[in-house]
Amino acid sequence: MFELSQRGPRILFGLTTVLVGLFLFAPIYWLLISAFKGNSELYRIIPTLWPGEPTLTHFSTAFTRGNLLVNLKNSLIVSGGSAALNMALAAYAGYALAKFRFAGRRMLMIVLLSAQATPFGLLLITIYPSLVAFDLLDTHLGLILASIVFALPVSTYMMFSYFSQVPGELIDAARADGASELRIFHTIVLPISIPALVTVFLYAFMWSWNDLLYSMTLIVSEEKRTIGPGLLLNYLNETNADWGGAMAASLVASLPILIAFAIVQRSFIQGVTAGAVK
Amino acid sequence: MSVAPARALPSSPPVSRLAARGGLKAGERRVGWIFMVPALVAFTAVILWPFISALGLAFTRYDLRTPEPIFIGLANFRAILASPQILGSFVTTFVFVTLATVFTVAVALAWALILNQSFRGRALLRTATLIPWVLPATVAAFVWAWIFNSRFGVLNAALLSMGIIDLPQAWLSTSAGAMTAVVITKVWISVPVTTTFFLAGLQSMDREQIDAARVDGASDWHVLRDHIMPHLRPVLLVVLVLAVIGNLQQFDKIFALTGGGPVRATTVLSIEVYRLAFDSWDIGMAAAVGLLWVATIVPPAFLYLRHLLKDA
Repeated sequence: MFELSQRGPRILFGLTTVLVGLFLFAPIYWLLISAFKGNSELYRIIPTLWPGEPTLTHFSTAFTRGNLLVNLKNSLIVSGGSAALNMALAAYAGYALAKFRFAGRRMLMIVLLSAQATPFGLLLITIYPSLVAFDLLDTHLGLILASIVFALPVSTYMMFSYFSQVPGELIDAARADGASELRIFHTIVLPISIPALVTVFLYAFMWSWNDLLYSMTLIVSEEKRTIGPGLLLNYLNETNADWGGAMAASLVASLPILIAFAIVQRSFIQGVTAGAVK
Repeated sequence: MSVAPARALPSSPPVSRLAARGGLKAGERRVGWIFMVPALVAFTAVILWPFISALGLAFTRYDLRTPEPIFIGLANFRAILASPQILGSFVTTFVFVTLATVFTVAVALAWALILNQSFRGRALLRTATLIPWVLPATVAAFVWAWIFNSRFGVLNAALLSMGIIDLPQAWLSTSAGAMTAVVITKVWISVPVTTTFFLAGLQSMDREQIDAARVDGASDWHVLRDHIMPHLRPVLLVVLVLAVIGNLQQFDKIFALTGGGPVRATTVLSIEVYRLAFDSWDIGMAAAVGLLWVATIVPPAFLYLRHLLKDA
């Protein structure tokens, strides 16, 4: 829609394309090929741009030596649990905000949206002792509950935007038939909202999967550790940094989230930018 | 569940259950709140209450030697004012947020304009652009730590072979190098989603307006300055505000990449609060710094909120 007509801008444009493209994608390329390089090739002052002798050594040691599989399993439990809980909470709340006019509704929206600005690190100061008090420190349940912090406000807003577009006639017709409000929501509204629900689920899943702060503070024991702190503690001690292993394990840790993202990317992007851009 | 009370009297008009008790308005109020309850309970438990009690702790002494918080008024804030280290972390935060925000917005804007051109493979490139954003924080930090590695990093190799530097640089061990690294890493992660916002804004651009300008002989630069940028103004504001909020809150990537070091060169407020709370167990001081941290986020958050609520 904005085709360039002059030579100068075209050259500038081409140059920017190459530079930004390199900046965005070269690191990913480097991650990929470093994972497949043997140690003798990896630790060179002037590196090779393509693995001369591609090897899977780093992957096999990543799976056998560290706790990668245990970390992955724990992350799956925590992120799955947290995303499901977050999705359910956001769905009911988003529906209430979109379809019912009740006193305090606007106030609730303001409080909910401002919560996005609260720094997670500050909340952690009091979440930590609360989890200790309920005997939930160092448990997956504790981390699941705490992880609601990341996504609940935005998720609720995403569900609110979605439900605002569901035609009121649909709901009124069901009401005229005498269906209860809960029943209307469960049997009529939710089934047509699956794309929005999936988006919200994955949004929360991503936050939780990618988190470091909460998962490294609220989980102490090694066998319960999730992937973020797991990677950090397994691969980057100052004394022996195993970069090949770190790159291979990073690829494995990123794969689930990349696959999930690839499946729903379109509705995901729409959901995330909803509201912010009008 | 589904038996309507109105059925008993076939002659009366059907009344929805919502309106059955106290009329439609009262019904909406009741049911609306009931739907809100689960989220409200969770919200209060993990966000609202922790937030308020953390702010309260800012006025207490609460550390390893004081098992219960003791009210000490503004003493923590006086201690902050007297501590060049903590004041330094405000400066570090300011430097980090400014650099990260400016570069993120500039690069994302350029990239959005590029992705808005029509060329083959554009859809694929748009999707691929989001990859840095979906990667786990630790992974992003690993990738850049490896690139910046002083002995075998590809950045040193590239700069050496181009003759820009004579000796390999120990990027992460110098103050300026570490700040450069965390800013670059944060920009790398933020550009994708920021680009998406700009692209969404460009989508609603009126094609005919540009065509008309072209007919009038407008140059590329004039089209950009007089038509595209004014159109992107509201998006630009949102993007700036979101970037500032996000950068003020940034913790994971900095912690994984430098741990706040070397010494305190990349100790932004998020790292400061974390160290005070979970390394020194000085909860009172952590909360006091946290309160000031929140104060820095309030102005951009207010702007964002005003924008979102315009038609809610």
